[in-house]
Amino acid sequence: MYLASFFRALLTYDFIQYALVAGIIVGFLAPIIGTIVVIRRLSFIADTLSHFSLAGVCIGVFLSKLINWKVFDPLFMGIVFSVAGTFLIERLRGFYKNYKELSMPIVMSAGIALSGLFISLSNNIDSKFTSSLLYGSIYSVSVGNLITIVIIAAVVITFLSLMYKKIVTLCFDEVYASVSGINVKLLQLAITVILALVISLFIDIVGVLLIASLMIIPVASAILLGDSFKNTLVCAVAFSEVSLLLGFIISFHANVTTGPVIILINIFILIVIMIFKRIRTNVKKEK
Amino acid sequence: MRVNVNNLTFAYTQKLVLNNVSFSLKSGDFLTIHGKNGTGKTTLIRCFLKLLRVENGMIFLDDVDINKIRKFSNVGYVPQKNDFNYEFPITVSEILSCAYPRKRDAFFTQIVNSMDLNTIYNENINNLSGGQIQRVFIARALLSKPKLLILDEPTVGVDIDNVNALHDILKKLKEQSITIILVSHDMDYCSDITDYYLNFNELGEYEFEKVGGEDVSS
Ligand SMILES: Nc1ncnc2c1ncn2[C@@H]1O[C@H](COP(=O)(O)OP(=O)(O)OP(=O)(O)O)[C@@H](O)[C@H]1O
Ligand SMILES: [Mg+2]
Repeated sequence: MYLASFFRALLTYDFIQYALVAGIIVGFLAPIIGTIVVIRRLSFIADTLSHFSLAGVCIGVFLSKLINWKVFDPLFMGIVFSVAGTFLIERLRGFYKNYKELSMPIVMSAGIALSGLFISLSNNIDSKFTSSLLYGSIYSVSVGNLITIVIIAAVVITFLSLMYKKIVTLCFDEVYASVSGINVKLLQLAITVILALVISLFIDIVGVLLIASLMIIPVASAILLGDSFKNTLVCAVAFSEVSLLLGFIISFHANVTTGPVIILINIFILIVIMIFKRIRTNVKKEK
Repeated sequence: MRVNVNNLTFAYTQKLVLNNVSFSLKSGDFLTIHGKNGTGKTTLIRCFLKLLRVENGMIFLDDVDINKIRKFSNVGYVPQKNDFNYEFPITVSEILSCAYPRKRDAFFTQIVNSMDLNTIYNENINNLSGGQIQRVFIARALLSKPKLLILDEPTVGVDIDNVNALHDILKKLKEQSITIILVSHDMDYCSDITDYYLNFNELGEYEFEKVGGEDVSS
């Protein structure tokens, strides 16, 4: 009955269709990139970049109100900042020997501060806009957005499947990767640039605060179950898509923002798996 | 593969580790490197693999300066302590297929059998013992069909049967004219197939000697 009315709405309104398609693509892409991010111990980078990318968006909003240039398009500025953020993090790491991870909170703080500043400078920004930046507004996805998402997703997935073995090798054993002729620096750079691209692309949909969760929580669940790398990937995508679809349906009925509901379902799955694992190890011990 | 090392000198920020090392090997030569802990054995190997930047001296593989080699297509390497990501969810089969994609191929099966990996083939790497992991890494190195095989203390933590099995494999590889560099603390291991010894001491000195022959170091 719930489902029926959701499907009726889905068939009636094309904005719901766009939202669902965008959601399914994001739900597929996020955990795949997330798996690499988690395994390379880059979880915090995702969060850092999303906040730095937000600064780009806010500066874009501010500037595009002053000067009507295409380059100041907020989405584009978000991408530029996100990619620039990866280089900035790398640069800052060089300044510290033992506290390399400091580079991330530094960039993140800069991102948050710049965002706050430029939001307050661009007067007449309504609170709806800021909340959509923070938590996303998946129902505002336009055909244009959708096309961009599909193109970037296709590019990213093609790249990842072509480089699958090299990426697995790099993640697993960096020394061997470089001995076996993989250009470690270049591949690493490609991975971070893709991460940056995808993050800035997702800001519109899930919002700054939830991007990292969407990438990481399904993976956190999958890693508890997966034996092989392939299994882990498959589980992560499955959890992500299930939460996404459930999130859509529930938020539609409860009339609440979609993003947070999706994340909460993801966390719920994680907790269930943790309990399941605990019980299983206890059973094993008793035997 | 021919190997030439000319006046190789290497120092970490302050500490001189390799002092003017020179030696050369022909295809099919077997070099065993001995030396106490911290005398520079692993450092030498890391120079070979371009994991460290060599500023003084040169290394040639088949007469090509390693600085000009962009991809070691025929060098196999078994690292000393496996500094890989232990928590990575990956199976033995996935590790091996990253090195050699054709899993049904006779060569692949032969390597898997020779390293006795059938029983652990679908296991997650987290569930393996140190010796089992070592065997996986040896298999991975062999899958790259090396002409130069470098093994840094490959027998540590491996049981006697597999140590002997490795000896037999190395012997066969030597017969196929593969050049082998082995770091070992066991003075006798592979002594029957060793052609040269490279001995490092704590003072940063070394001697390179031919088995049954004269000391050929300078
Ligand atoms: N990354 C590094 N930075 C600085 N010094 C290093 C580094 N790695 C090794 N050393 C030093 O260089 C020396 C040689 O180290 P190396 O690892 O080559 O020794 P080894 O002969 O392989 O010893 P072992 O038998 O313990 O494996 C040691 O004294 C060590 O302290
Ligand atoms: Mg060593």
